[in-house]
Amino acid sequence: MAETKSTDGGPTITIDGRVLPYEPGQTVIQVARAHGIEIPHYCYHPGLPIAGNCRICMVEVEGWGTKPQIACKLQPSDGMVVHTQSELAKAARAGTMEMLLVNHPLDCPICDQAGECHLQDYSYQLGAGRAVTTTAKTKLPKNVPFGSKIVYDAERCIKCTLCVRFCEDVAGTGELSMGGRGDEEIVIMTSRGEFETGYAMNIIDLCPVGALTSRDFRFKSRLWFMDFTPTVCTSCAKGCNVVTGGRDGRMLRMEPRENQDVNRWWMCDEGRLDYAFVNAPTRLLAPRVRDAQGGWAEVTWDDAIAAAAGALRDAPGSVLVDGNCSLEEMLLAGDLAAAMKGKAKYAAATGEADGWLRVAERGANAAGAERLGLARQKRAGTSALLVVERDANVPAALRDGSGATVVFASDETLVPDSARVVFPLGTWAERDGLLVNADGRLQEMRANGAIGPGNLTAAVEVLEDLLGELDPERDWRGQEGLRAELRAHDAFADVEFPAAREAAGVGAGS
Amino acid sequence: MAAKKKPTPPKPEPVEDGRYPQTKVLSRNFGVKDSWTLAVARERGAYAALQKALDDMTPEEVLQEVKTSRVRGRGGAGFPTGVKWGFVPRAGSGGQGDKPKYLVLNADESEPGTFKDRYLMELDPHLVLEGCLLCAYACGLSTVYIYVRGEYPLCIARLEGAIREAREAGILGASVLGHEGFACEAHVHPGAGAYICGEETGMIESLEGKRGHPRIKPPFPAVEGAFGCPTVINNVETLAHVPSIVQYGGAWFGGLGIAPDPDNPRSLGSSGTKLMGVSGNVRTPGVWEFEFGITVRQLVEGYGGGAPEGRTIKAVIPGGLSMPVLTADELDVKMGFDDLVKAGSGLGTATAIVMDDTCDMVEACENIAHFFADESCGQCTPCREGCHWMEKIFTRIKRGEGTPADLDLLENLFTNIEGRTICALADAAVWPLRSIVRKFRHEFLARMPGAGGDDAAGGAAASAPHTVGAS
Repeated sequence: MAETKSTDGGPTITIDGRVLPYEPGQTVIQVARAHGIEIPHYCYHPGLPIAGNCRICMVEVEGWGTKPQIACKLQPSDGMVVHTQSELAKAARAGTMEMLLVNHPLDCPICDQAGECHLQDYSYQLGAGRAVTTTAKTKLPKNVPFGSKIVYDAERCIKCTLCVRFCEDVAGTGELSMGGRGDEEIVIMTSRGEFETGYAMNIIDLCPVGALTSRDFRFKSRLWFMDFTPTVCTSCAKGCNVVTGGRDGRMLRMEPRENQDVNRWWMCDEGRLDYAFVNAPTRLLAPRVRDAQGGWAEVTWDDAIAAAAGALRDAPGSVLVDGNCSLEEMLLAGDLAAAMKGKAKYAAATGEADGWLRVAERGANAAGAERLGLARQKRAGTSALLVVERDANVPAALRDGSGATVVFASDETLVPDSARVVFPLGTWAERDGLLVNADGRLQEMRANGAIGPGNLTAAVEVLEDLLGELDPERDWRGQEGLRAELRAHDAFADVEFPAAREAAGVGAGS
Repeated sequence: MAAKKKPTPPKPEPVEDGRYPQTKVLSRNFGVKDSWTLAVARERGAYAALQKALDDMTPEEVLQEVKTSRVRGRGGAGFPTGVKWGFVPRAGSGGQGDKPKYLVLNADESEPGTFKDRYLMELDPHLVLEGCLLCAYACGLSTVYIYVRGEYPLCIARLEGAIREAREAGILGASVLGHEGFACEAHVHPGAGAYICGEETGMIESLEGKRGHPRIKPPFPAVEGAFGCPTVINNVETLAHVPSIVQYGGAWFGGLGIAPDPDNPRSLGSSGTKLMGVSGNVRTPGVWEFEFGITVRQLVEGYGGGAPEGRTIKAVIPGGLSMPVLTADELDVKMGFDDLVKAGSGLGTATAIVMDDTCDMVEACENIAHFFADESCGQCTPCREGCHWMEKIFTRIKRGEGTPADLDLLENLFTNIEGRTICALADAAVWPLRSIVRKFRHEFLARMPGAGGDDAAGGAAASAPHTVGAS
């Protein structure tokens, strides 16, 4: 008999021979997860009410006979002995896999979920590896629009109801329901037209199979040709934790990443789709300077830096940065402004808050800018140097009114006529840096190496080069040095910084 | 106080032809003119038990009589009713106990071949209502929801009529029969034709206006049922027994029928009387009431009249469609909860479906599987995908396209469907199918080219019509 008491005398259960303590209210799947034992599941999600319908998480409980139990709902009791790998548990899961596949179309080669499909994964891990049915599969509706952003395929659907429960219990808008009975049961949209919730696309991420696909992403790329990087969304100042996915320089999608303190598992549709400018055909690809005729000449980064330093020496002034710039970039903006006896300012848009994740402040690092003492530029004013990533944050009136001669811009449409030297700026998906969100939380923005032109020198490096030109006494700090300085900065005494090693490891995506 | 005349309970009715006698407790008013009206019902003793309970008994004493009676649920599962009532948290205990509490009367009689509750609701709705009120009194419930099968328009009309009459007579309302402190209302809620809404938690979901998806238990409805409140759910016939249990005593009821097995401490026996029915390939289908003890054969032959002229009984499902089948030589078992389980089947709704020698068991299985595939709510994977899969396999065998490997596949499916779902619909699908496949394997092999089955049996069955159930 295994020891069934934890060291502190609290209640324990035994899972696969390991004696594990548990908290009241936890179910067996949660206890297992907390201790690194993954029990397969489709319909279970920690952020949704338990449905217990997929029947893939079945485990054997000693003394409970031959009826396997669902781990997602099973309440532990002191001394309970659970087996996830017994013959009964394995046979039960294989039986469920067989049922799930009997009517599932074999269209993995054209399914967007392929490569991140739980049905594929569990077929590989738990399935029998053979087909036993020769009967025709049940035909169900395909290519059903759920609003304008989501497409539903009822044949691929395993009816786990995660999407229904998200709309009902998380969004509270209840646009989806189950309809029909038996193996003709499908998900139906109970309202016509669009989802009321601005968070509907989360059901695509929740869907464990390829039944719900994104109109925006579907058929664009096989997953295994893409690179993914954990970063934060900069569409507003909430800083939802996300993963960017890109391929061959193009950004193809963004998905939320769990962070219980910020966005839990979710993100808004508006933020998710706020990346078209990353792939704009008008992106700037190389530094350029005004030639004698008033046209543009592409030059090397070194020549552009020299030209910019000359321009700033000739006409020093203030520095205006986009509210989405990183703390490192803003720190340098402050230093540059000081070197030019000017002021460092930032500009950022505001919009509607939705009462959930999206906040009114659109400057992803506006809170960081305030901590660094940058003033918010609200009306047009002159600046010598301008950094602009998003049109919304630094609108045309501010850009044109700045009279800036040195401009960092992500897109040629953002360059004011006054510019003499222009540096192409990576978008947030291509830059590394620290941001402070609306709640005062410091988070890390990370570059996805598969997104963007790919030959851009980081703005933070160019800014530091310029600073070196204007103030030769300055030591080169680099990103690590800048972060060390920020960490020591009084304005960030109450902020938790990412671990130094993690920060040092920042780089292109996997 | 003058001693009241002790009422005498109904006795078995004499029979001269050697058949098992009927005992009419629930069915005493069947056939009486206008038996569903309050005037006639009262003349024949309706609400006397309720009056007695309100006058002379505490709720706890009513509950105790029901416990003493050992009456078991008549909806099919046979759970002891008194035990179920005992799970309801009492008022003043805090939490769930202090919420409003409900009775949901399961009148969604949708089990194929079952039409016993329909008789009670059509012919004696006041008996049903009296049972509901006694339950409400015993358990402290304030509202009765009668969830009636939508295809029973006459039941709906008679129940609504009875409720109206009872309300006008002060039997329902703020003070039931003038008893201060016991208020109770009743409402009829017609179903919309889904078998799954007869499952108690599917019924609660439906009552709440949601899709009939059964809930995971625990929590059990007695603790957290309709609208999140403690809820008793009982079958119509179960509650119709309560007035006579209160009137004549739990000991009287417990003394009727089949006593618990003294060698088995877990045996509960089959106490009291029971409405039993016969349908299918018989001469005189119908519903009768017996004290427990009648055998399946005595029921289907003595009352059902046996197979039609020139035919013989091949198989009987003793209780609705959802129980394992008995073959013709297994019919001398008593129609009792424990007796039929011991015989490898179950009492279910105690309404036997008879299949004669013209019934093709392959087609019967296809029909049964079709019913459950159609009625599966679609919630749990094994039932949703498995029931239709089984149907497809039976269709294939019927068409002569099956192989003996299909029987192994079916056995595998039975294992992967039974006991793997939230509710018992999947079990109900597997039990009759598995028993037929096992007991009539030769008929399946006979449909498989070159499988060496019994050609004579298969040939006779292949050309014959069949009727199973009344879905």
